Amino acid sequence: MDKQLFIKSKKIESITFIFDILAIIAYIALFLMLFNLLQLPDLDPISGSMDLDNLEFLTPTYELLGSNLDKWQMNSIISILVIFLVVTFPMLFINIKKNKTRTIYEVDSYAVGSKFVQALINLLTFNFVGAGLRIYNTFILIKFVKGYSPKEFFQSIIPAIKKWFADRKVKKEKINEDTIDEYSASLKRSIRRQNTIGALRMLGTYLFLVLMALIIIIPFYWMVLTSLKTFTESVAINPKFFLSISRWNWVNYKVVLTELNFGLYIKNTVTVAIFSTLGTILTTIFAAYAFARIEFKGRELLFSILIMTMMIPGELYIITNFITVSKNGLGWIGMPTGENKYFLAMIIPFVTSISYIFFLRQNFKQIPESLYKAARVDGCSDFKYLMRVMVPIASPTIFTITILNVFSSWNAYIWPRIITGVGDPDAKNYWLISNALRDSTFVQDSGRVMYNLQIAASALVTVPLLIVFFMFRKYIMNGIGRSGTKG
Amino acid sequence: MRNLIKNVKGFLIKIGNIIKTFFWNVRRIINNFKRKISNFLDKHKINPAGKFPGWAKALLYLSPALIVLAVFTFWPIINSFALVVYENYNMTNNTITGYTIFGNFLRVLTDESFIVPASHTASSAVINTLIIVFISVPISIFIALGVSVALNSIKPLKGFFQTIYFLPYVTNTIAIGLVFAYMFRTDGGLVNQFIGLFGVDTAGLSWVESNAVYWRSMFVLIFYSIWSALAFKIMVFLTSIQGIDKQYYQAAAIDATPKGRIFSKITVPLISPMIFYITVTSVIGAFKIYNAIVALFGVQGAPPGVNYNLQSIVMYIYQFIDGSKEGQLSVAAAGSLILFAIILVLTIVQMQVSKKRVHY
Repeated sequence: MDKQLFIKSKKIESITFIFDILAIIAYIALFLMLFNLLQLPDLDPISGSMDLDNLEFLTPTYELLGSNLDKWQMNSIISILVIFLVVTFPMLFINIKKNKTRTIYEVDSYAVGSKFVQALINLLTFNFVGAGLRIYNTFILIKFVKGYSPKEFFQSIIPAIKKWFADRKVKKEKINEDTIDEYSASLKRSIRRQNTIGALRMLGTYLFLVLMALIIIIPFYWMVLTSLKTFTESVAINPKFFLSISRWNWVNYKVVLTELNFGLYIKNTVTVAIFSTLGTILTTIFAAYAFARIEFKGRELLFSILIMTMMIPGELYIITNFITVSKNGLGWIGMPTGENKYFLAMIIPFVTSISYIFFLRQNFKQIPESLYKAARVDGCSDFKYLMRVMVPIASPTIFTITILNVFSSWNAYIWPRIITGVGDPDAKNYWLISNALRDSTFVQDSGRVMYNLQIAASALVTVPLLIVFFMFRKYIMNGIGRSGTKG
Repeated sequence: MRNLIKNVKGFLIKIGNIIKTFFWNVRRIINNFKRKISNFLDKHKINPAGKFPGWAKALLYLSPALIVLAVFTFWPIINSFALVVYENYNMTNNTITGYTIFGNFLRVLTDESFIVPASHTASSAVINTLIIVFISVPISIFIALGVSVALNSIKPLKGFFQTIYFLPYVTNTIAIGLVFAYMFRTDGGLVNQFIGLFGVDTAGLSWVESNAVYWRSMFVLIFYSIWSALAFKIMVFLTSIQGIDKQYYQAAAIDATPKGRIFSKITVPLISPMIFYITVTSVIGAFKIYNAIVALFGVQGAPPGVNYNLQSIVMYIYQFIDGSKEGQLSVAAAGSLILFAIILVLTIVQMQVSKKRVHY
């Protein structure tokens, strides 16, 4: 094996990433530009709201680079950009991971093939530089794996195909049944029978798994599909199961973000998520460290009290916490308009979590005690030891806790609802995304329920979660599996 | 000009030197001070690191978490026992009219629509919750077991299927609930379209809209709660099945044991502690069902224009905080203590049984 070739291929791959990233930035910029151009219905001068009933009957034309585009062409362009993003972003993400971890022994013909397919995808997504570099890289890898130069490789294709066919022909030559004796014939029959049963069982297993997977997937598919439909299509008696890309109404998302204020709700939720997660991480690390390493009287007692409170239902807390944050307590809500501190009321109760303390303590306990003693002998203070040794070792767990906490803030429903439901007209501006989803009115003055907009809002809530999940799948699934089995 | 630049440069260097020496001086003074303190301590044989008690250090580390926990976790536990004995607690001006011991509990237990169905409805909070618990938990455990055994027996596409089955865990209950409600629409809903394929007349077959029969809307609710609960169970079962020693299966394979027997005699007994744990946690989870109902049927907990209610125990409690009976927090506290008692009993049962039934 030629190590130089492998290193060269790795280097070229990292140069390709730059062009991949540039392409993705270009898609995102173009998408945002076109999305901004999308035309919404005019504001009604009297009520100040949009007439969403004729959203689907708008036929605006857009000027782009000197040519006039109608609504459907615009939709198609945006759809194609989104498809490009959906294809290229995961590809980049997986490739960067692979390029980091791939060793010289893992490069085989399969890797070469996948590189070539990636080059084709690059070509289809108009990333020509990336495609060229990847094809060049393919030839380097062919040289590395098979030892062929490009010319030799092209010459070897036809003989290889011929050989493959020849091999198949040899396999198909039958053994004459008459010449084998009784015993081997029966053996052969029983092997064949077992193989059939095994294959049938495999088929059944896969059918079952695919069926279950369909039940899981269909709501997601239906959500994305409906969010792009027009109102008439979304309430049709015979709903469409597929839409051509020119019929993907991206304007639905724009209406949801602007007219229905979901941009603001997303901003609120992100604020709450960031601050409560920061708080949770800090308090959890310190508390878990105290429970794992510092010896003091009553440590086990205090810890078991904390563990016991974990089984108390959350409803019990919410009743008193509602009193605590309201006028007679801390005075964060229930005050006259303008004096309410909704963010404090939504963040502070959630800046620590007993289950995460428990989870992190288990992790800290696995770090050998001798490390701690050695550090102490060398004059390392507790705080320094925690920051320099414990936190880096436990960083995967801390990352898992971060993600899970962000998820739970994103999905919080009942507490924000109770907080913002106290009759303050200003409270609507502090809704979080889940209670906005449930409590916003998607009903028009004409009595129509705008299902397509409602489902578009749902998709807007769900898609970020799915993106984060697919990016950090390993951390999330490990974290939940472990905390589940140990709790 | 060049001179000027030289001067300015020299000036800047001078200032820099002054600042540097200043900080060096500060450092030196601090170090001197430290040395003096340690000399003093040595002289009088005091060792602060040894004498500094463990609990003080622990308190320093625990205080951020403990302060928040004290206000928002420990205080509510104490306060809800206080709230329960108040009579007619008024939140707005913080007044009560007297004390009662069982009055609030009695109010919950005898309340229409908690245990006994109200006269104009056909269901109560406890009945609804029990139906959900006793139907959704066993079904979801059976399906999760089947899926995880099937997943364990395949090799290609295993990671792919695992990821897909995990999706419901990371989604927003409200968002997907709205999608389910949309899928179960009467006219042009996906489910009715699907049933229509088998020749069933779906005109007016209502699931979550007006005219929906109790069992139909209950079916949607149970279906949704199973759908969203599967992910966690499959995950946990799969990890525990993968943890089983391969030798058992190899021994069974040598004896040509049929697959069903392997499942019932090896897999299930060996993961039975996990099955039991999951059963109890999901029963507790099902008792606390709330978001799914709100997502499917709105805050009223019923399809529009029907004479029954699908509210659960938790929903019953929340109606005293914000809902039809807003402000009666004492009754809500009583309700949540009853829920706590149920969960406590279940947890104790789990702890006792899992102590006795250890299979390996």
